[in-house]
Amino acid sequence: MVLVGVSWAWATSTPLLGRLSAERRWLNFKNFAGELVPAPVRKSGDWGDALPWAWELLTDEGFLALMTTFGIATAAIILSGTLVLPLLPLASRRLARVDPFGLRAGKTNRAAGLVWKLSGPFVRFAFVLCRSLPEYLIAFLLISLLGLQVWPLVLALAIHNLGILGRLWGEVVENADDSAAMRAYAAGQGRVGVFATTTLPGVFNRFLIYFFYRWETCVKDATVLGMLGLLTLGKLIALSKGFFWDQMLFYVLLGGSVIVLGDLFSMALRRWLR
Amino acid sequence: MKAQAGKYGLKRWVVAGLALAFLCCAWSLGLTPAGLVPPDSQHWDRTGEFFRAALNPALDYEDENVPADAEPIWWKGIKGVFLTLKFAFGAMSLAVPTALVLGFLGSSAWWPEPCGGKTRLILRAVYFISRLFMSLIRSIHELIWALLFLSAMGVSPLAGMIALALPFSGTLGKVFSELIDEEARDAAQALKAIGHGPVQIFLVGILPRAMPNLITYSFYRFECALRSSAVLGFVGIETIGLYIELSHEEFYYREVWTYLYLLIAMIVVVDLWGAGIRRRLHTSTGGCAI
Repeated sequence: MVLVGVSWAWATSTPLLGRLSAERRWLNFKNFAGELVPAPVRKSGDWGDALPWAWELLTDEGFLALMTTFGIATAAIILSGTLVLPLLPLASRRLARVDPFGLRAGKTNRAAGLVWKLSGPFVRFAFVLCRSLPEYLIAFLLISLLGLQVWPLVLALAIHNLGILGRLWGEVVENADDSAAMRAYAAGQGRVGVFATTTLPGVFNRFLIYFFYRWETCVKDATVLGMLGLLTLGKLIALSKGFFWDQMLFYVLLGGSVIVLGDLFSMALRRWLR
Repeated sequence: MKAQAGKYGLKRWVVAGLALAFLCCAWSLGLTPAGLVPPDSQHWDRTGEFFRAALNPALDYEDENVPADAEPIWWKGIKGVFLTLKFAFGAMSLAVPTALVLGFLGSSAWWPEPCGGKTRLILRAVYFISRLFMSLIRSIHELIWALLFLSAMGVSPLAGMIALALPFSGTLGKVFSELIDEEARDAAQALKAIGHGPVQIFLVGILPRAMPNLITYSFYRFECALRSSAVLGFVGIETIGLYIELSHEEFYYREVWTYLYLLIAMIVVVDLWGAGIRRRLHTSTGGCAI
């Protein structure tokens, strides 16, 4: 099926290269490449002039944009983690049933049985819905409703990651060894109690691994969400596009290096948690 | 291990630290609860209209000027869905082969084992350079790649596909190499004992074993590619995102919802399809969603 899809995609897209001729495109490309060189260097030919230029860009708006990007990503992922946690026991295949772990405790009524039967699929489907919309699209729509401010970006990232963390954390919970949780339930703890005091401490480190993996993605996504008009790196990139290619390249590289740093940080952290 | 030793105390500190981090971010970004509601009556009206439109998606164009013989909106929406699918397929068909090569170069499972001075140095260099290359191309978001490529090559689907394929092959390659390295090496060692070369060992002894995980992860990335190709509509490539943006620009919220529902339906279907594949291959996203 995948093969069919791929061949269909290529076979039916004949005008892939658009309307420009190869020669014209090469010319475009050469102009473009020339303008990537920092402006002072283009003038003087001395790469030493690039440093003060870069420093000015950084202190002017670059640093502020960087902090905003980080702030948005961090706030969003913590928000979404906080929202997912209470939903997990409701989505768990073992806890969210009228007889958790198959242990029947006394009489159960049919209505409760039905509610518990629906709760898992319902929450899991809500997770699918949340992650089905790309965060850029959610942010775009929310900005038109809430106005141009930081909340729409935070909310968009939080909603999308709610779905993804729900799935990843949910899988961890399903795959975890639940004998201890079962004993705790048999000893008379409620569902919430079992989840919070037995299941959660057991899977905490794996949760953190996914949490930081998503945080890293959030930093990357927060960068481009700025293209919608808020001061993150994406905005600076979009603004300098077309006029100041050199500045654009600087911001792109700045964003890239932040992500590499975040990557290294979360890699070290994950190794430590393992 | 270290984290296990100080079990509860450490975890409590992590949670406290995260709560503090949230407060710091909220404070520095100026996030207040007041920002969660529309700022003025105009935005309130718009919000109301937007969510009313959700219950009543457009089955016909809201624009009066659309000629009567134009294709119906549901057809346009389905076409958008197929364009999005096509775009994702195209990008993935570039990214997966690239990632296989990069993943091969960035893994150490196939290295000949008693591996002396010079060969080892070269292999190390290849390993390091390919890893660095992968982390460079995936550290730039696909939308920014798209901005770069569209300005350098003009708006063409190929430019968009390459823009999408670059960061995806970086991510895929990194994960592929890690999955390959994590596979058990007994088969590889047996093959080596009977005199096979490193590439043969890789293709026969290691790759088939890692295959289920590679397929699962590629499929997961395909889901991501679908979402990204919808978003690429916002920079002018014809996918369903472009239709959403155009309708939204004119405040045709009911049309927006028609497209949104189609987009959601497509992604949910692909999501369920992927879950089916994972079930059949007995893999989970658990191990490989890094």
